[in-house]
Formats: sequence, structure tokens, C-alpha cells
Amino acid sequence: MTITETLSKNRGELEVKLRNLLAKPVFLIEMDAFALPCGCKGATINTRGLQYDDLEIFEDHIVKYLKDTSENLEIEPSFLFARLVPGTAEIASLNSRVLCNRCYMDFARGSGKKPRPDIYILNFIRRE
Amino acid sequence: MKLYAPHVGHLEGLEELLNGSKDIYGIYMAGTPDYVGTGRTNLSAPGLEDIAEQTEYAHEKGVKMEIVLNSSCMGGIHLTPEGYNRISWYFKQLNNIGIDSITVAEPYFVEMLAKEYDMEVVVSVLSFVDSPQKAEFYEELGADTIVIDPAVNRDFDKLEAIRDTVSTGLKLLVNEGCLYQCPFRYAHFNFFSHANGPGPKLSVLDDYYYYKCLSLRISDPQQLIKSPWIRPEDLKEYKHITDIFKIGGRTHFPNWILNNVQAYANESYDGNLMDLLDCPKDLKDLFYIPNKELDGAISQWKQCTKVCNKCGYCNRLAEKIIKVYSTEGCENVLKPLKENGGK
Ligand SMILES: [Zn+2]
Ligand SMILES: [Zn+2]
Repeated sequence: MTITETLSKNRGELEVKLRNLLAKPVFLIEMDAFALPCGCKGATINTRGLQYDDLEIFEDHIVKYLKDTSENLEIEPSFLFARLVPGTAEIASLNSRVLCNRCYMDFARGSGKKPRPDIYILNFIRRE
Repeated sequence: MKLYAPHVGHLEGLEELLNGSKDIYGIYMAGTPDYVGTGRTNLSAPGLEDIAEQTEYAHEKGVKMEIVLNSSCMGGIHLTPEGYNRISWYFKQLNNIGIDSITVAEPYFVEMLAKEYDMEVVVSVLSFVDSPQKAEFYEELGADTIVIDPAVNRDFDKLEAIRDTVSTGLKLLVNEGCLYQCPFRYAHFNFFSHANGPGPKLSVLDDYYYYKCLSLRISDPQQLIKSPWIRPEDLKEYKHITDIFKIGGRTHFPNWILNNVQAYANESYDGNLMDLLDCPKDLKDLFYIPNKELDGAISQWKQCTKVCNKCGYCNRLAEKIIKVYSTEGCENVLKPLKENGGK
């Protein structure tokens, strides 16, 4: 399968899983694989209709789905996070990111699930 | 019937539109946001020379040109001497170019334009004229035409009362998909007016209102039915109010606009109603609303008192006809709302 076919298949599968879990037509408007100049790489899934409440109630399920999706895309699911619209119930995207050393340090220094008002950490595996 | 079509603001786009359809009576587009912004997003900001060139082209084709400067919040700069001078200089240039009409939302501009220039003054949908009283105020300020707030598009008593009260032209926006009684309208348009106005430019995190607007529909799809759009088939129900209709959608491609023009000119569309709606364009790949299955719904809306928890008609209709795009393998399939979490 080409990278775009893989993305397309996983976008659809994740959307179906989230809809079944949350019982509403959550919409994954775009799934992108990316590589940043700093060295970070990963995938971003822009969401519409997914809300903070959904995360709070179904975090374990959502983390598992996101891990699976990440692995299907051959992205190590060591850093998973949701991007929030700060101060609101809205979730803008779900993300799986392999951090470069510099960005890793930025996150490793902090603690807690919300290092920035728009970031909610779902999974962060600390390095040895 | 007089159909006004949106346009992003460059000559090639205008050529495509006017060569693509003979049914366009007038074109409207934004100007540059350096003087007065607009209450919606723009894809381009034509300067005075571009406006002059496009106005000439439209006129050659026998089509009216309208410039939309419908900022819903000026932050008061129009009331300062510098602000006033800049804006009135800009109005004068537009007047000299020979545009036919100018749409504004700020009451001050309605009066200023009516007093000093001979362009037709159009009161924007963002002035929220939803009653005969407001219409009367604007008429007295000097308005030539009023675009009625779509919030009353399905309230025929109000529409008829407005018609009977004023002698201005009346225009109806036919394809806005905003939430019915949307609580975000004022805040959202004010935000756009600053983001797309004369600065200082904001660096915002996200458009909160937009996210919210989409979320509310995704978790409660009957909202899509309640929105006060007017189907092409239902234009005939409005002809005793006015024959001037406006299609919203300044950020869309000419093809999308032409599809709308054709649907409304023919007063018929066999497809997804979402294709025609301007506002939540992201959701047209999520929901499928077979337009033809909405036949007859207007007779319910005409006599509806808009107390949704007593009536429940839109909810039942949504459950019956809305389908959701779903993925099976790599295939896109349509499924009933119920199977995808409809309430
Ligand atoms: Zn990095
Ligand atoms: Zn809205």
C-alpha cells in the first residue's frame, strides 16, 4: 500500500471506531503525516465534533485507538496528544509525534497532562 | 427574479462566472480591508484598479456590481477624524468607479452613504434586520435595499410585516446554513470584522466559534434542518415578499457558485442540500441531505411556532432523511443517521 492509501484507510477506520464509541458522527476531517525541520515527525488527525468530555470519559479507549492507528502508520506511539481549543470543550486534533531531542527535552522538563493551554498529553513515554 | 452571486474578487473568476451563466443579475464582492473590513472571510482583496476593471467587465455583460463592506464592528475608528477621512475617501473612489451598490452593516455608514453619494445603499444581513421596526429605522436612515436577517426566513408573518412597512427593496439570503438562533452570530462576525479589517492584525489560536458551530451540528444533526436556508424549490413561496435573492459564498470556487446559480435559477436541485449551503462547508463530506426529500417541509415551517421541544418536526425529519458518510475499507458509503450516533 502507498503511504496515502495507508493514511486513507486508517483515517476511515479510526473515524468508525470513534463514532461507535461516542455514538455521534465524529468527523476526522484530515489525517496528515508530517516531518518538521527540527527533526520531529508523526501524524496529525484534525477532528471536528470531538470534545474534551469525550476524552475524559473515554480516554483509555481513545488512547488505545490512537496507538493502533499510529502503529499502523509505522509511527512509534511514544508521544500522543490532543490539541485543544483553549478554554473550550473543543478538540482540534489528535496527534502522534516522534519527538526530536530538543522537543523531547521541552516536554520532558514539564509534568502534568497540560504543559500548554492547547496541549493535552495522552501518552508520553520517557526515555531512559 | 434577480439573483445576486458572490465572487472572490479577481477578473478571471468573474469571467468564469459571467460566461458560465446568464442568470446572474448582480455580482457582489469585498473591497480591500484597509478601510472597512467585512464580516466574513475573504480570499482576495481587490484594490481600486481591480474593482474598476471588474466593474467595467460586469457592466459590459449587463450585470450589476456590488461592493460589500459589511464590517459589524469598526472598533469606533470611523468616528475619529482620521478614520472618517480615510473611509469617506474610499467611498468616493468607489462612487467614481461607478459601482452600482454598496453593502454596509454599520448604521452610520448607511446614513453617510445615503447623504453624500449616489450608489444604492444596501443594509447587510449583518445588520440583523428581523422586524418591521428595524427595517423602518434603516429606511429612514437612507437605505435603498435591506437584506433581511435569515433568522426570519421561515417566519412569514415577520417577512410580510417588513414588506408592508417599508418601500425599500428587500433581499433574501437563500443558502446560509448558520445555526437557527445562533448564539455566536454577533461575536463571530465581530471577530471576523477585526480579523479581516483594517488592523491591528490578530494572531489567534483558533476560530472558536467555527469549531463550536460544527460541533453542535455533529452532535445534534437536526440543527442542519433548522437552519433558515431556503431551498431552490421553495423560492416560489417567497415571491410575494420579493424577487431579489442573494446566494452566499464569497470563499467558494466559481464552479460551486455556478452550481448554486443554476439550482436557484431553475428553482430545483437534485442532490445533497449541503452542496448548496455556504456556512458549514466542512460538513458536506459528512452529511448527505437529499434535497428532493425536503419537498413539502416548507408548509410545516410556514405555520411552525418555533418551539422545538413541543414540535419536534425538524428532529423527525432529520432522523428520517439525513445520511452520514462512513468509511468501509477504503470505500465511502452512506449510512442512516441512527447507525452513526444520531439522537
Ligand atoms: Zn522537534
Ligand atoms: Zn453560526
